[in-house]
Amino acid sequence: MTDGGAPLRIEPRPISGGSLREAELPGVRAITRPAAVARSESPLVQGLRRLRRSTTALVGVAIVVVLLVVAIFADQLAPRSPIASDQTRTFQRPSWDYPLGTDQLGRDMLSRMIHGTRISLLVGVSSVLLALFVGVPFGMIAGYYGGRVDTLVMRAMDLILAFPIYLLAIILMIMFTPTSGLIGTIKVTGAIAIVRIPIYARLVRGSVLSIKEKEYIEACRAIGVRDPWILMRHVLPNCLAPIIVTTTLGIATSIIVEATLSFLGLGTQPPTPSWGWDLKANVAFIQANLWLSLFPGLAIFVTVLGFNLFGDGLRDALDPRLK
Amino acid sequence: MRIYILRRLLQIVPTVLMITFVVFVMMRSIPGDPVVALLGDAYTEEDAVKVRQEYGLDKPILVQYLIWVGKLLQGDWGVSILSGRPVVQDVLIRLPVTLELIVLSMAVALVIAIPAAIVGALRQNTWADYSATTVAMIGVSIPEFFIGVLLLLVFSIGLGGVLPSSGWVYLPGTCPGIICAASLWGNAQHVLMPAFALGVGRAAILTRLLRASMLEVIRTEYVTTARAKGLAERPVVFKHALKNALIPTVTVMGLQVGFLIGGAIVVETLFAMPGLGTFGIDAIIARDYQQVQGFALITAFAFVVINLLVDLTYTFLDPRIRYA
Repeated sequence: MTDGGAPLRIEPRPISGGSLREAELPGVRAITRPAAVARSESPLVQGLRRLRRSTTALVGVAIVVVLLVVAIFADQLAPRSPIASDQTRTFQRPSWDYPLGTDQLGRDMLSRMIHGTRISLLVGVSSVLLALFVGVPFGMIAGYYGGRVDTLVMRAMDLILAFPIYLLAIILMIMFTPTSGLIGTIKVTGAIAIVRIPIYARLVRGSVLSIKEKEYIEACRAIGVRDPWILMRHVLPNCLAPIIVTTTLGIATSIIVEATLSFLGLGTQPPTPSWGWDLKANVAFIQANLWLSLFPGLAIFVTVLGFNLFGDGLRDALDPRLK
Repeated sequence: MRIYILRRLLQIVPTVLMITFVVFVMMRSIPGDPVVALLGDAYTEEDAVKVRQEYGLDKPILVQYLIWVGKLLQGDWGVSILSGRPVVQDVLIRLPVTLELIVLSMAVALVIAIPAAIVGALRQNTWADYSATTVAMIGVSIPEFFIGVLLLLVFSIGLGGVLPSSGWVYLPGTCPGIICAASLWGNAQHVLMPAFALGVGRAAILTRLLRASMLEVIRTEYVTTARAKGLAERPVVFKHALKNALIPTVTVMGLQVGFLIGGAIVVETLFAMPGLGTFGIDAIIARDYQQVQGFALITAFAFVVINLLVDLTYTFLDPRIRYA
């Protein structure tokens, strides 16, 4: 009862069907919203809609798209061969002919930067995808079945996690023996993927542990749906948001790890263009030719920044609780 | 609490043994033979057999590992195959360099991150906040070696060599040998750029995390209560908000140790510092088994001890956390 004595009227709250956006929507809109539309919008679609409103995320997307275009059309965009050396044109300063100058072997730095995009993105994206395809099933199986399977899988993951990441990556690269070309790139990808597998396994296991207790999973089991189908059709889609966010931010980390390995001389070997290697090789000549190390460093920075901005935007859009 | 610490200290042993065993096996599966490198042009099969016997390399891997552990228990870290020096001697000479680098880089990270995060959180959505978050985003995206190169360009080349680009001068009192250059000013000159290069990335990560935690904490009821009872802003921020917001930050600082060790390898390589990072990478590349084992041992030990310290810090930050 209020002070004036008038009875307090309690308006019944509209029920909108459990959408994740329910908290954001005023009650009336939730009623007037066509049910079909509300049902058709998955949390993922809603998240992507939120992503479109984030300026910084869009800047990240733009950087990533430009880099992808550069990587795909590197052969067409590069004015010269990235590995062809010209001893008569070493250490050329930036000019119309050589917009980013030439290195100690007379190789065109612009062409090396353009082709370096390929290696960086290829290793960054494929190592994360490889880690994802191994780590996610492990995490799902460990979380869903629990017991001995969980102990076995997670202890194996802990074994990898117990290592300082770079120590393991360096030893793996020495084991694989760094080489140039596609094989060299695959080796770096493999080494980085191995150190990243436990991250996905842990992440997914945590999500699965809570999802498997939900009523809809119990209902699936009750009507006799098989475990692989439950995992693929009902569990996995509900872990997608954190997986997507971790993947995007993971690409940025993988690109840095690749550049670091290359910087230490353990990444893809020359003559294959690699930003980390170029930076290291040109540090020796930095006093007279500072641009030589600046451009590869800037390329790494812009690429990592693009994925970080994109990943941050995705995180805010897909899982606002993590903001 | 004591029992908890004792239990955790005992857990260090199997973790360190596990890491060193995996490194042991991995190193021996690497293509290439250190005996070939040691003998060089004078390589003959008889000499190789003799050297292998001398270093126990002709025995099965598990036996070799057990011999290594047995010697370790007696304080013998082994002798480098390539240099012939005791590994423990090399590690002790290089340890102060890396230790100082890592401690100072964490100090740099905290000195930048704490004020930036507090300003960002207290003045959310103002230019100060945007500046802090933008700089933090840039910091997260720059690899240590590129920051190092930029610092070299400015302080070693641009400003006429204010700071040296390579080498090392020990902090007085930390030099483990008889002959080493030691001076406070010289040490400061040599450590400043590497510590900054390594610390900036950590500062950026911590700023982002601490800002988010602070934003969460300053909206809690106990902070509102502290303000309502007339407490000045400074104790509200530092005593009530910051201390609680630091818990997730400390966790991440512990997790960053793995990256710090990698960062130390890179930064030491760039600035040609005689630390454990360069020692480790040189040993791995040269396949000097004993040196790699020494490096793995000290790295694994540091890794688990720092994680233990992180867990113990929680009880200081939040007295409700009790370990039994």
